[in-house]
Amino acid sequence: MKTSTAGLVIRILAVVVALGIAIFPIYWMLVTALTSNADLFAPTPRLIPDLSQLGVFGTALADGKAPVWLLNSLIIAVGTMVVSITLGLPLGYALSRFSFRGKVIVTVILLFTQMLPEALMVVPLFSLFRRFGLLDSLLGLILANSAFVLPIVALVLKGAIDGIPRELEEAARVDGARPLGVLLRINLPLIAPSIAATAVIAFFHAWNEYVFAVTFIFTPGMQPASVGIANFIGELGTPIQTVMAVALMFTLPAVIFYLFAQKYVVAGMTAGAVKG
Amino acid sequence: MTAVQAPPEARGQGTMAARPRRKRSPLGSRWTPFLFLAPAVVFILVFQAIPLLQQIYMSFTKTTLLNPTRSEWVGLDNYAWIVGDPEFQRTLATTFVYVVICVVGSVGLGLGLAMLLNRAFVGRGFARALITVPWAAPGIAVALIATWMLNAQYGIVNRLLDAIGLGVPGGAILDSPTYALPAILVTTIWQLFPFTSVVLLSALQAVPQELTEAATMDGAGRWWTFRAVTWQVIKPTVGLLALLMTIWSIRRFELIWLMTRGGPVGATETLVIDLYSQAFESQQLGRAAAIGMVGVIISLVVILASRMVARIAERKDAS
Repeated sequence: MKTSTAGLVIRILAVVVALGIAIFPIYWMLVTALTSNADLFAPTPRLIPDLSQLGVFGTALADGKAPVWLLNSLIIAVGTMVVSITLGLPLGYALSRFSFRGKVIVTVILLFTQMLPEALMVVPLFSLFRRFGLLDSLLGLILANSAFVLPIVALVLKGAIDGIPRELEEAARVDGARPLGVLLRINLPLIAPSIAATAVIAFFHAWNEYVFAVTFIFTPGMQPASVGIANFIGELGTPIQTVMAVALMFTLPAVIFYLFAQKYVVAGMTAGAVKG
Repeated sequence: MTAVQAPPEARGQGTMAARPRRKRSPLGSRWTPFLFLAPAVVFILVFQAIPLLQQIYMSFTKTTLLNPTRSEWVGLDNYAWIVGDPEFQRTLATTFVYVVICVVGSVGLGLGLAMLLNRAFVGRGFARALITVPWAAPGIAVALIATWMLNAQYGIVNRLLDAIGLGVPGGAILDSPTYALPAILVTTIWQLFPFTSVVLLSALQAVPQELTEAATMDGAGRWWTFRAVTWQVIKPTVGLLALLMTIWSIRRFELIWLMTRGGPVGATETLVIDLYSQAFESQQLGRAAAIGMVGVIISLVVILASRMVARIAERKDAS
């Protein structure tokens, strides 16, 4: 299609503006973290990061709270990833390969859980966890988060397994492989990209999760970063530069991780929904 | 796999004998599917289904946070109370406004951006990757930076608005019943539009270029080409995204809770915020559960309605 030069310029400008809008708040986190107090309260705001202030990241880590938060977040995120894929892979396989009674019901339930607000489940999960000693524990959060991502993980993996020809499995079965062996040795390597996608989805969900974490954790040393950072909002004690430095350390790993896996994630997120 | 290992040939025969007709799924025993299903299904039952049933029950009781094990059956009282409560009607209206603007804004902007990015240009891959940053940023961090940017004294937004003479009096956007909801909407849409645009971009790439080119050659206007060719291809994706954004927006909690807690004076109180504050501030678990059920029912109705619309549209296309 031919386009006039003016049209091209407008299009490029529009893309640049959109990019600017998309990036600015994250950039502003960085600028705020790297601004001296004098500049922060000056009448004209400083628009570029002040590299002489890089020490703020050291300050943010020095009091020992932020590293613990980030470590807790990491444990919860990795735990959720492992639990939800370990449970979701066999479920996805069963939904893809077997025909059994109640298959439709299972699928409907998986889709139904997608619309349950976490806030609604806080109260009953709280009493459940109290009964089993899972309050104030990272394991409790891993289980709660896994329950919320398991359906999407299973649906994405089902879609991926649907795409693998059955003939490959038949050959293995003739050689005497059992169903679980078939799944692990034949299917698993072939659906590696989808496993990666579900890993990212599960990791993200748990990394960002806030409602359960703020309700189920009482000991400050057990808090994940989402709760720690949320507590900064409206609190006046901590300098804003430190707050932003911690927030950046919480945001950047997620963003970078996501950029690497973006292709798979978007396909996965929509696939889960499309199948409904 | 600790089960006794039969020699492969023997097991093969056994399977054949047990299920002679089902050649396409000659797997283990007839219980194999359930072994694959059971762990996940039990997990979902324990952590989702049973808690949900408990909430349904709780919505018919009077239960307080201080004494959650003692509940008194009150039938439909909680529902009667919330339906009769003018504040709840306001909450519903706020939720409706929030959801509709989120959906229209994120899908509309996403489509616009996707159309821009659908043409080849230098650095497109780079632009496409950068544009997804808001979607990848954790919601908590987004709430934090948005609150800081909207800070009454030092926030960059106020400084910019003041500079062009559009400043909010006093500058406290999130404390203003008029501007708090728009501010939250802008933040939400900022976070969502990268997702919708990436999804729509992949849909646009399925539009046959020859068709759009042919239409333009025949002298069709851009708008006509868009409606007759492009829109027809991306329609299902747009529908799907609208549904997804609706469900997500009904569920959204953190962003609103952390930016305004539903305030000022209830101006940003959506259903889920109301549910949370009924449970943990007013300590009325029964009412909170009933509010949650209203949310679940609304989501269900939206999903069923969208399926019906999709089916009618399909039938229309077929005839």
